[in-house]
Amino acid sequence: MIEFKLNGKLVRFEGNPLTRLIDVIREDLDLTGTKEGCGEGECGACSVLRNGKLVTSCIIPVGAVAGDEIITIEGLRDTPQGQCIIDAFAEGGAVQCGFCIPGMVMAAQALLLVNSDPDEDEVRAAISGNICRCTGYDLIVDSILLAAKKGKGLW
Amino acid sequence: MIRIDDRIKRVDAVSKARGEAEYLSDLRRDGMLYARMVRSTIPRGRIGNIELPVLPEGYYFISAKDIPENGKNSLVMIAGDWRCFAEGDVRYVGETIGLLVGKSRAVLKALDDAIKITYEEEEPCISIDDSIALKGGAILGEDNVHCSLVSEKGEPVDDVLERADRIIEETIETGFQEHVHMETNAAMCTIEDGKYTIYASAQCPFYIRKSICGLLGLTPDDIVVKQTTTGGAFGGKEHFPDVLAGPLLVAESVIKKPIMLVFDREEDMQFSVKRHPSKVVFRTGVDKDGNILTSDIKVYYNVGAYLSSSYVVLQRGVFHANGVYNFPSTRIRGYGMATNTFPSDAFRGFGAPQTLFAIETHMDHIAAQFGIDPVEYKKRYFLRQGDETVTQGHIVEKVVLNEMLEQVAAKSDYYRKAAEYKRGSGRGIGMSFYNHGGAFTGNGEQAIIKAHLRLRKKGDKFTILCGQTEMGQGFMTILRKIVAAVLETDIGNVLYYNPDTSLVPDSGPTAASRSTMIVGRLAEEAATLMKDHLDEDEAEVETEYRHPEGHPWDQSTFKGDAYLGYGWGVCCVEVEVDPLTNEVKVDGIWSSHDIGKAIDELIVHGQVNGGIIQSLGYASMEKMENRNGFFRQTSMSDYVIPTSMDFPRQEWGLVDNPYEWGPFGAKGMGELVFNGADAAYIDALERALDTTITKIPMPVEDIEGVRR
Amino acid sequence: MVEKCYIPSSLEEALKIRRETGARPLAGGSDLMVQYKQGIGITPAFPFPVMIISKLEELRGIRQKDDGSVEIMALATPDEISQCPFMPWHVKNAASRMGAIALRNTATIGGNIGNASPKGDLPQPLILLDAEIVLRNCDEERIMPLDEFILGSKKTALRDDEIIYKIIIPPVSYSYAYYRKIGTRKANAISKLSLSSLITIEEGVITDFRAASGAAGPKVIRSRESENILKGKRIDEVQDVLPSFLDSWNDAISPHAMPQYRRNTTRRMLEHFILTAAGMPENQIIE
Repeated sequence: MIEFKLNGKLVRFEGNPLTRLIDVIREDLDLTGTKEGCGEGECGACSVLRNGKLVTSCIIPVGAVAGDEIITIEGLRDTPQGQCIIDAFAEGGAVQCGFCIPGMVMAAQALLLVNSDPDEDEVRAAISGNICRCTGYDLIVDSILLAAKKGKGLW
Repeated sequence: MIRIDDRIKRVDAVSKARGEAEYLSDLRRDGMLYARMVRSTIPRGRIGNIELPVLPEGYYFISAKDIPENGKNSLVMIAGDWRCFAEGDVRYVGETIGLLVGKSRAVLKALDDAIKITYEEEEPCISIDDSIALKGGAILGEDNVHCSLVSEKGEPVDDVLERADRIIEETIETGFQEHVHMETNAAMCTIEDGKYTIYASAQCPFYIRKSICGLLGLTPDDIVVKQTTTGGAFGGKEHFPDVLAGPLLVAESVIKKPIMLVFDREEDMQFSVKRHPSKVVFRTGVDKDGNILTSDIKVYYNVGAYLSSSYVVLQRGVFHANGVYNFPSTRIRGYGMATNTFPSDAFRGFGAPQTLFAIETHMDHIAAQFGIDPVEYKKRYFLRQGDETVTQGHIVEKVVLNEMLEQVAAKSDYYRKAAEYKRGSGRGIGMSFYNHGGAFTGNGEQAIIKAHLRLRKKGDKFTILCGQTEMGQGFMTILRKIVAAVLETDIGNVLYYNPDTSLVPDSGPTAASRSTMIVGRLAEEAATLMKDHLDEDEAEVETEYRHPEGHPWDQSTFKGDAYLGYGWGVCCVEVEVDPLTNEVKVDGIWSSHDIGKAIDELIVHGQVNGGIIQSLGYASMEKMENRNGFFRQTSMSDYVIPTSMDFPRQEWGLVDNPYEWGPFGAKGMGELVFNGADAAYIDALERALDTTITKIPMPVEDIEGVRR
Repeated sequence: MVEKCYIPSSLEEALKIRRETGARPLAGGSDLMVQYKQGIGITPAFPFPVMIISKLEELRGIRQKDDGSVEIMALATPDEISQCPFMPWHVKNAASRMGAIALRNTATIGGNIGNASPKGDLPQPLILLDAEIVLRNCDEERIMPLDEFILGSKKTALRDDEIIYKIIIPPVSYSYAYYRKIGTRKANAISKLSLSSLITIEEGVITDFRAASGAAGPKVIRSRESENILKGKRIDEVQDVLPSFLDSWNDAISPHAMPQYRRNTTRRMLEHFILTAAGMPENQIIE
């Protein structure tokens, strides 16, 4: 049995430890905010935080997160930090089709946790593993910079 | 209360960012089964034997044999030639042979692996050249031509070529492009209230009904289609959802339980439609000073195994083949070629980007040969209001390309840089000009679509009923904003939901940059009519599209006013090429667009940015090759699209040029913004390297071949 | 084909499982989970037993020894390597350009080496620096040059009862250093070609020269024979011997796809680095 914390709650998983973390999140726990875009860790749509660091949940076996703390979009969205990022995304025009956005919000949070006052290049680097086909990124970058500005003191 | 120029938040932004918006794969139903496609593994041949493993209880294999006697094995897109299930023969790798259905996706995968299909293989025909050469024998008729047309104007081309001082000949080619909508293709079929109900990630719910109803001998009204939040489409979900929904419907008729089909990325890459590869052959007659006397153009598109919607794609390619230029004489011949590749289909721009790239690049080459700055050269031929088009119609609107050019030239400092960066210096700046005809060609909006929209009032809420979809482009917000602005109310009082075909009128497909221009206009008109009913508690108004008088179009000869409102664009790109590695660093991207009027500037900003980056990806890194019928790039690591670090921040601008028949003066823009950055990039690259480039994409390894 | 999966809680247990069952270590998962994926909602199917070793503390960490050598334990991530203050420059650079952030938080050096992809990012600079690999089984430790451990594309000298324990980078000094990775795009990219090189010039004489080419053959290419052409030469002789060195290096690499690009670019980068170094007044990194 594998135990880990997900969004603050203890999860016990009794299935195959090689089950992909994303399948545990989406299928077993029915938390569908985490999206599957590529299934090979290339696109970032399935990004979650593991012990505060950004990882792609489609390439991690659940057996590898035993004892870890996982945060998904569901665990972030109602925190002051999550709300700040989400509001900035809406205000800044970051969202189009939206499929990459929960992962993008997680990437923004991972960045702001270690760098609460990033510049544009740092933001671009921080989301370079999160592919967006709609926006061309400029407005996402602006929105993350906006979140950092409006959320001063939150991180 | 909202005004049209107010900056607002997109109405769908927060639910998407919170992960609450439900995409197809997020749906759950009791007793839901999954489906898995069984596909051909050869590009061309006869199906011999299909040997199935023993299917466990509750597992099914659905194929052409399950289509009832009164049904027809046809997906009716524009043509009806695409079969729901291959029968007898297969025509491309990945053609649907059957559908496995059951509870466990792991079991379905194991069953799929255990199916043995034997084939009598035939020699496949893959490229346009293969098709012209009838490789392996004709696939279609005697000449492999799925569709063709000719557009001409002015003095006969052959006569002009006869007296030209020079004929400049060249061939420009473009490759496949994959949509890579972040949400893969997905659909679900179930039965609700006794009716077959399709849920789909799709652009055009009404297309799906029409396309698949004949499989069971039904009428469109017998099927309900409900669009789910759609994670990007770009044309890839215009007709292609039919290819999922068709087999699901046949399966549903047998199994009668909710069945979900979600492609994983590898399937979506290998087994979905792509942008048509093209080959554009120019014979341009010029005088001794380089003045263009006539353009003789042959346009070949690789259509793939089925015609589906490609004739219309080819038409748009032909109608845009002279770009934004007015040549005194022209002849454009278009051919859609049959091959054994996955059928090509709609992709943002719908046939226009290929020919626009070709003409822009060809013009650059002529200018270079005569030692003229390409921008100065192209300016001489800019279309103006009243000019005759290649379909012998006219440019109806005011064209402000010169103003746009000056806007972009000023921001980019084009003239100084163009003079300063010597050809071959490793730095280059390039500029392109392009347009996109808004909405369906000619009178298609009236003759074919007959769009309807209803606006319903209940208390202080207004509900917009139409078949247009939000797929990321912002339509949901645009539509509500238009109605709210007319009614001078809060956007929260105006409602719109993802369309359900049983509840909304057919307002035509969400395609062809027509949604804002045509359906947005219907919404504006409906809201205006509603103003007379504001004192009533409940009211309903309906509007119907009417084509403006005095703009004839003959669909049998393709003559007349093809488009009443074009979007226009100018894009400038500056590059620096690493002399050691050929890596290209883009130092600046500047654009100006004429979209009539922006309904929502922030949404337009996002569309401009996204369209331009997609186009730059198309020109630079997005290489999709087909070898012997198989796409070589099968994942997002092989087929790369731009990241946040590949291109710099864009500077963009608009010009105010209200369009008479659009809502608040707006024209189409979703496709326009894809149509030109590729050519500006290649122009800049050619100047940086002092070379001639005749194809895209151009990744580093291909630049090696054109280095001087 | 559901094979057994183990989760050992100590290195000792892992080595025992490895000996008894042959289970293959799975660390981050970024290679193996992708290679054996089955699609959405399906558990990856491995045709061999697997043990998840990601929590083994004994395999974590990066240390600098008194002699200046650097030891990188098998589970060190590219992120840790790129942030490490005493990490040799070439390795730090390669680690920081591997995939994107999420991958750099997930992948491990042991996995990147064990996977032995010719496009792998870390083996190339490590082989340049003459790194050694330490392997362990239940009974003993074995140490060998990394260049010898990687045999070819996807092939290593790892024995059925061994696991990768750590990497040792010997102390290194140089006058000039060079590293380039040409990816499929600017970030989050797989390598199309990579090169690292270093040169030591003492009193006008090249006393050390090394180069390593990645993604230019079935494994990382070091050619001592080619390097020897430059070693011992005075910098004013460089122009004369450069063509024979470049030809020799060109013979050493064997790119399968895009041969013209990979050969020409490798040649241009080496020529640029060597000529720039020979003409530079001060020690530095050459871009």
